[in-house]
Amino acid sequence: MKRNLVYIFLLLIILSACNESVKSPVMVNAKPALYPDYSDVTVPASIAPLNFTITAEKFDRIDVVVSGSKHGELHVQSKDVIQFPQDEWKQLLSDNKGKDLKVVVSLKLDGKWKQYQPFAIHVSEYPIDYGLVYRMIAPGYEVYSKMGIYQRDLSSFDQKAIVENTLVTGSCVNCHAFNKNNPTEMNLHIRGANGATMLLVNGKMELYTTKTDSTISSCVYPYWHPSGKYIAYSVNQTRQAFHVVRNERIEVFDQASDVVVYDIKTNQLTTSPLLKTADFETFPVFSPDGKTLYFCVSKKQDIQSNYKKIKYSLCKIAFDPASGKFGNKIDTVISATKTGKSISFPRPSFDGKYLMYTQSDYGNFSIWHREADLYLLDLKTGESRPLKEVNSDNTESFHDWSSNSHWFVFSSRRGDGLYTRLYIASVDDKGNVSKPFLLPQKDPRFYDASLFSYNVPEFVTAPVRVNANELEKGLLKKDRKKMEYVKY
Amino acid sequence: MNKVLKYSGGILSFSFGIAVWLFFALAYSNHLHYQEQFQMFLFTSDYWADLMSRPGGLADYLGTFFTQFYYHSWLGAFFIALFLVLLQQQVSFISSRLKDNPLLYPLTFIPSIIFWVLFCDENYLLASLIAVMLTLLAVQLYFYLRHPLVRIIFAAMMLLALYWLVGGVFWIFALICICVELFFFRQFTKFQWIVLIALFVICIATPPLLTKQSLQYPLSRLWWGISYNRYSTVSPVLLLLAWISIPLVSLMFLLPVKSMGSKSAIFWLCAEVIALIVVGDWFVRHSVDGAKEEIMAYDYNVRMQNWDQVIAMADRKTPDSPLSVACLNLALCKEGKMNDNMFHYFQNGPEGLLPSFKRDFTVPMVVSEIYYHLGFLNTSMQYDFEAMEAIPDYKKSSRAIKRMAEVNLLNGEYKVAEKYLHMLQHTLFYSSWANEAMQCIGNETKMDADPEWAQLRQYRMKEDVLFSEEQKDQMLGLLFMNCKTNRMAYEYLIAYTLLNKDLNHFVQYFPIGKTLNYKEIPVHYQEALLAFWAGSGRKMADFPWPVSQTVGERFNNYARLSSSGGYAEEQIKDLYSQTYWYYLQFRK
Repeated sequence: MKRNLVYIFLLLIILSACNESVKSPVMVNAKPALYPDYSDVTVPASIAPLNFTITAEKFDRIDVVVSGSKHGELHVQSKDVIQFPQDEWKQLLSDNKGKDLKVVVSLKLDGKWKQYQPFAIHVSEYPIDYGLVYRMIAPGYEVYSKMGIYQRDLSSFDQKAIVENTLVTGSCVNCHAFNKNNPTEMNLHIRGANGATMLLVNGKMELYTTKTDSTISSCVYPYWHPSGKYIAYSVNQTRQAFHVVRNERIEVFDQASDVVVYDIKTNQLTTSPLLKTADFETFPVFSPDGKTLYFCVSKKQDIQSNYKKIKYSLCKIAFDPASGKFGNKIDTVISATKTGKSISFPRPSFDGKYLMYTQSDYGNFSIWHREADLYLLDLKTGESRPLKEVNSDNTESFHDWSSNSHWFVFSSRRGDGLYTRLYIASVDDKGNVSKPFLLPQKDPRFYDASLFSYNVPEFVTAPVRVNANELEKGLLKKDRKKMEYVKY
Repeated sequence: MNKVLKYSGGILSFSFGIAVWLFFALAYSNHLHYQEQFQMFLFTSDYWADLMSRPGGLADYLGTFFTQFYYHSWLGAFFIALFLVLLQQQVSFISSRLKDNPLLYPLTFIPSIIFWVLFCDENYLLASLIAVMLTLLAVQLYFYLRHPLVRIIFAAMMLLALYWLVGGVFWIFALICICVELFFFRQFTKFQWIVLIALFVICIATPPLLTKQSLQYPLSRLWWGISYNRYSTVSPVLLLLAWISIPLVSLMFLLPVKSMGSKSAIFWLCAEVIALIVVGDWFVRHSVDGAKEEIMAYDYNVRMQNWDQVIAMADRKTPDSPLSVACLNLALCKEGKMNDNMFHYFQNGPEGLLPSFKRDFTVPMVVSEIYYHLGFLNTSMQYDFEAMEAIPDYKKSSRAIKRMAEVNLLNGEYKVAEKYLHMLQHTLFYSSWANEAMQCIGNETKMDADPEWAQLRQYRMKEDVLFSEEQKDQMLGLLFMNCKTNRMAYEYLIAYTLLNKDLNHFVQYFPIGKTLNYKEIPVHYQEALLAFWAGSGRKMADFPWPVSQTVGERFNNYARLSSSGGYAEEQIKDLYSQTYWYYLQFRK
């Protein structure tokens, strides 16, 4: 026993010797250039450690001290990247909920230390959902390699596959959506020879064919009705084209598109004639009370000659959840004619206060538009503003709200201009939006080596449980429930 | 007798190795180049961790490690030869332990010959061979374990480990271990046999089933192996044959062989060797795909910008597939010979100039080269990206990443370029290029010091349009109008109309090339102008363009023969198959 204690003591001495003390540092009158930039961000208390490094300058050692304004301190030193111990990090954030963490970074080069001005990390009082679900895919053109839908626990670095396209050869997965972030009510689409739309209702899986004789395509861009009784989809005839100039790549258009609503109980797909016109209707979403259907619409244009004139307005139509009937008029919420811009991906917050959308110069596939930015519409005042707090000079596109509407996640190409990464920001009760933070990874250099883009991030309140073996069997059986179209 | 047997083994193995090396280095080298480009081995922990996270990871890792040496085909061929000889030595070791039977030594080449045959198919990967070798290495270790209990524990543990390290071939280990127990150790009690067999059944059945619970692959792939073939849907029968041949050969050593004199022994050995050579030769010959090797050779030479070698290949044997013809046309254009010489070779329409996009991993990679040299940088990058994404085993392509890094550099997309270059810095054969290219990030002066890059930066499109596969002539026209010194764009535009037999557009586009200051109208253009004029019904006396006397006289003669009927076509073919007129009139 005594001998063991001696060993433990010696081990502690050896370990403590690994951390050098920062002696007589030269003070630098600037904040450190972190990678990723986590300075002055607001984070939920449950977030995984914000590991970082510094790439802008060389160093032999990096020393970081994080101290809570209420309680606790964390001291980490490394020769390349700062990786905080998860348990201590969790405790520190938990102890300082609603307060700030002060972070002091020191660098050692050629035997001399220098210390930067401290920066803060604000620990929010608002909790965040359990995790995120997103698609990981190379930002390609028409062909896809390995890809899948994955879930990430936000309190750790654990990422698990929900469905990967290795499961069924030649498949592609997309269009995942949840009802108010509930993982037991999920939509997922699998393309390919064994394709299907999978609906998970109360955890029970069913595979569907969503193409009907009366609709122009299979159902895409799903959005659940808050009651769980309906799903709004758009049906789109989509094509791609490719730019030839240096700073543009891909253009995705709809040659035709309509909005439809699926009644899960009756297995009926229907729409209003107002949503199935010669114009391009797309991106339907229900309001949190379920009584309004928002969507985007543009006048039909010839794509080859007038593709830059395709501009989508944000519109809405009344919806009666009891009868499944639509109102008899469409209201324009934000007119593309007035703004001269185009709206995509409208997403109402679950508290009914806001509607967030992406605005770009034209078209509906803002993912490939550098000028695409996030905008926030205040549903009470009707005022809309660009989210300067989170926008960058590169693409900001798909976004989703946490179940308490105090956090939103969005995809952005600001990292390297091509590979989309996920950023999270908070909105407080007064509508103040915080500086976003990049989804943390165990090794902060992870994104540099990754050839995947993160698509369509969706919050979930608990882990998603899709039985991949059951899904594989179902897909290979080719036995599908066919949605029935009913004329309105 | 003993001396003969002693030395014959080594000589046979050495000769076999040399034969394999010569075959892959000289006759099949482009298959190796082809394979190398569809993977990207990285000296990073992430790459290791990624491959090791699935069954067969170590075999895949070592397979891709050695496949990177295919960049130099002679070196790649050396490793294939080395591994096939090592496999033969392993089979010999195991077989001779069961029963020393030197007269049957040549049979130990059978598994290696089967793998040689398999490797004639470019989609069988080196990992399949390394997986077998690692499995046999485990068998070799098994021979050194003297205690039955230790062997039982070792066999069970090794089976589990082998599944993860080498993949689907792991059960061969159990099969051979049973042979070893039956015919080498012969120590087991009944109870020990029951334990061993029970453990084998459990250790073979459970790993794929357990893996299925955590990895999303079809169960069949988890059984047969993920990384042995580029395609997931290919039948595993040939691999099964290779695997089964190993215990079968070993068991053949148990056959009783009468003792014989040295002459008989030599005769017996020679007969076996000759039989193996004849049978092996037949199988290898029937597995070789010369047509693919030829296309791969064209592609390799285009990739390396060996334009004269491309033309020399075509001079030896005129290419006839759209891809090889497209490579030839690119080489002719780069060498300034397209306008005068392209119809000296077989032409198969516009598809032999700019092949259409296909959702596969080979065609777009080749076509990307053409768009790159033309100055359609985005389209070139798109084709490379698509080719890489279409690689069936989901590997990344060092060739495609290099091109994508290059195009992003030229486009001024430095962050993405840096990402790709950083990856290439972790490779063996692309790192020095990546280090050089890294210095061009944000440094346009340094980029312009490279003549090719400087030219491409001039050629790239300044005004945006949406690229149209269906209107390639318009795209080429826009590219030329974008930079009127882009000779290649002009010549491709004209070639496109000629190959389309679209003389009206040819005549419309022909004058825009004035800025290129040709000394005289190129021969094929003269031929096309004469054909257009004659076809328009106007008087030849009013022909407005200057043509050489030779071309004019040949045209008159052609027109006379063409209108005479009878056996004229054969005569025309003999005299004029290298003219545009012949293509216009007779090529479908």
